[in-house]
This record gives sequence, C-alpha cells and structure tokens, in this order.
Amino acid sequence: MSEKVVFWYGCNVVRHGDIIHGSIEILRAIGLEVAPVGGPGYCCGTTKDANLRAADGMAKRTVEKFNDLGATLHADKVVTWCPSCHRHMGQFMSGYTEPQQSMSHFTQIVHAQRERLRECLVRRVERRVVLHKHFGFREVAVNPLVEDLLRMIPGLEVVSTDSAVPGHMCSALVSVPQALKDVTRGVCELARSSTADDVVTVFHSCQRLLCGLESSESFRVINYVSLLGESMGLDLVDEYKQWKTAGSEDEVMDLVGPERVAKLGENFVREQLMPELRRAPVK
Amino acid sequence: MNPEVTDRNAVAPEPPRTLRGYLDGFIADTLDRCTRCGQCYVACPMVGYAPELAGADPAAVVSGLLPLLQGAPGSREAVGWVKVCTQSATCIDACPEGINAMLMLRVARMGALGSLGGEAQMKATDDPLFFRKIEAFAATQLAPEEIEAWHRASAQERTAS
Repeated sequence: MSEKVVFWYGCNVVRHGDIIHGSIEILRAIGLEVAPVGGPGYCCGTTKDANLRAADGMAKRTVEKFNDLGATLHADKVVTWCPSCHRHMGQFMSGYTEPQQSMSHFTQIVHAQRERLRECLVRRVERRVVLHKHFGFREVAVNPLVEDLLRMIPGLEVVSTDSAVPGHMCSALVSVPQALKDVTRGVCELARSSTADDVVTVFHSCQRLLCGLESSESFRVINYVSLLGESMGLDLVDEYKQWKTAGSEDEVMDLVGPERVAKLGENFVREQLMPELRRAPVK
Repeated sequence: MNPEVTDRNAVAPEPPRTLRGYLDGFIADTLDRCTRCGQCYVACPMVGYAPELAGADPAAVVSGLLPLLQGAPGSREAVGWVKVCTQSATCIDACPEGINAMLMLRVARMGALGSLGGEAQMKATDDPLFFRKIEAFAATQLAPEEIEAWHRASAQERTAS
C-alpha cells in the first residue's frame, strides 16, 4: 500500500498550474498517494505581519485542517512546496499550535526517492542549463537537491556555478526594487557566462518574476519541475509565461480566452490582473 | 527559601496558545540574550540597499532595533534595515549568542508595522486583492473540481468523494 501525504502547495504558485500538476505527478511517480491542498483556505498567514490576529487565526485554521486531513486520510506527512509556507510553519505556526504531522519539503521527499523517479525520466532533454539559486532558504538545502535531480535527466547538461543571490526566493526582493533589478540583471549575465539555453528556477516566485525575460533574452526561464516533467513525457504548459511574454494586452486576452475571461470578469482581468501580466522584468 | 522545594513545586510553563504569546516568549529571550554586538548587521547582504544605513555603526543599529520588539519606536536606521530584510538568513549563523536574528528582524518588522502595540513606523504593503487574485489565477489554472477538492473540501468531504 502506498504512503499517503498531504501536498501543501501554497497560494501564489496557483499562477503556475503546470508546477502544481507536475509536482503531483512527480510525487505519484515516486510511489506516494497525494492529497493536494492550497489556496487562501490553507494560507499560513505569513503575509499578515501587520495583523497578528488574522495571522494567528489563519495559522490555527490551517493546522486544524491538516490534522483533520491527516486523521481522515491516514496521512502522517505534509509535503510543502512554498519556502515561505515551510518557514512560517517552522518558525511560527508550530510554536503555538499542535500539528500532528511531520513536515518535509518537496525537494527532500523527491530527492530521497530519486531512484524511483529516475525510472520515469525516459525522454532526453538536450539542453544546457544553469540553476538560479538563492541562499536564504537555510531550512532546506534546495540548490544541491535540485541540481542532483536535474542531473538525472538524460541529455541535460547542468552548468555548475557558485552564484547565489539573497532572499529565500525572488518575491522577497520585490520590496527592494534595486535589489530585484540587480538580481534580474545578474540572471541574464549568468545565462550568458554559462552559455546556457535555460535558466532554471527553483521556486514559483522566481519563475513568476523572471519568466518575462524571454521577451528580450535568448534563454528560456523554466522551473525544474517542468524539466523533470518534460523528461517524464508530461504535457505541462506554463501559461503564465505565455501571458507574460505576449506582445500586447489584446494578445493576453486572446491567450486567456473568452471563456476564462468571462468567468473572471473582463474588467477584473483588465484592471487587476493585466498590470502584473504586462509588467516586464526590470534589469 | 529552600530552592529544592521551590523546584519540586514548580509547574512547567504552559506552551503558548497564540501567536502573540509565542512572540512574547521569543522577544523576552532575545532581549535577554542579545549583547548588541552588531554581528548580525555586519553579516547582512542587504544593508547597502538602505540609504539611511550608509556609514551606520552596527552595534547602534541593533540597539535601535530592539525597542521595536517591545512595540516602542525604533531608530531611523533600524527601520531602514527592517525594510530591506529579504530573509537571506546569513545573520543567523553570525550571532554569537545563537539568536535567530532573521526571526528577530521579522518580529521587529511586526513592531515597525504597529502590530506589537506601538505606532506604525512603516506602511504595510499588503495588496487588498491578494486573495481575490489568487482565486482568479487558480480559476485559470486548475479545473473546477480540483479547486473544490483542493481548496475548499473538508477532510470528510474529500473522503466521501
């Protein structure tokens, strides 16, 4: 009987359904039965530093849901994706709640079972890639774990570098615009100096904030889950990147499509989502 | 007073049941242990991004930061440091007292935002539509049944389905 785990993917990663679906398939490929959870109903509260009562309530509700899920599904482990959620659970939530499950990061779980994953990496991916690394997520050594996973992909050439930038992921730099600009420019220089076809992101916010570089640069920006998925033969499309690299607002609307636009409301898409989608990375 | 009797009768402190209770314990411990040596500041890769920190004395910046933990005003330099913290974690290993200095900065940020009882010294950057945007993007990327099961269903509902 396969082990059951709760896969807590978080909030902001929902911009990249390809990462969520790819991660679930990877967890299944290593023999796990996966119960995915995420979105606002499972928010850790990390964004609520200005409202501790809200942060407190969100964390307690989320831990209670995990405990219920664990007991009902007989899943004794929560697998995290988002480093902010992982950190917030470790630093705050577990300090005043009573989580009944152990917590591991996605990279740890997959790396520990990587030989099972290797059997599924059947397609060659003839690319030369370099990993975009941050040095702030000290809870888990994600960079070497991800590089190990990438090296299992047949045909993939992984360039080793010591380059790593501040923060646990790029979203941490948004509040310091000059730092984000420096990092973005550094990513372009890293790709050039490595003569890489692809810059590979570890986390979703790096993918979100850097994928727009494809409009002006010759390299691809791709998440490591997408590369693993490509080698597994999965059909994963980063639609968010397609929207970010579209040439005009009208093209974005066409790509999103009338059905989804109608569901969300055209005004909402144009006024609330479009500014983010049309904002190019500054370097 | 006989210390042995006191110890025997001592009751272990209740674990905190709220975020604020947990933070109070962390704050008390940090204020007790921090020697204001400034090594956390020295290790920070971000201080060059805050103009108010040019030429600042590390020990003075940390001294100006600690009042924020108690909901009191921090120095201009300390608030500037808080604003450029990106959770790079290099400060943690730098602390000779074993304080989680990254967490200290995070709690100081809460203080600077006015969450610990004092006047706010910096504005929150929360997007009021944050969760609405999350729901919107989810609706573009996940199937309706996935959203129902993964975002909304209770444990019992998941099992039943």
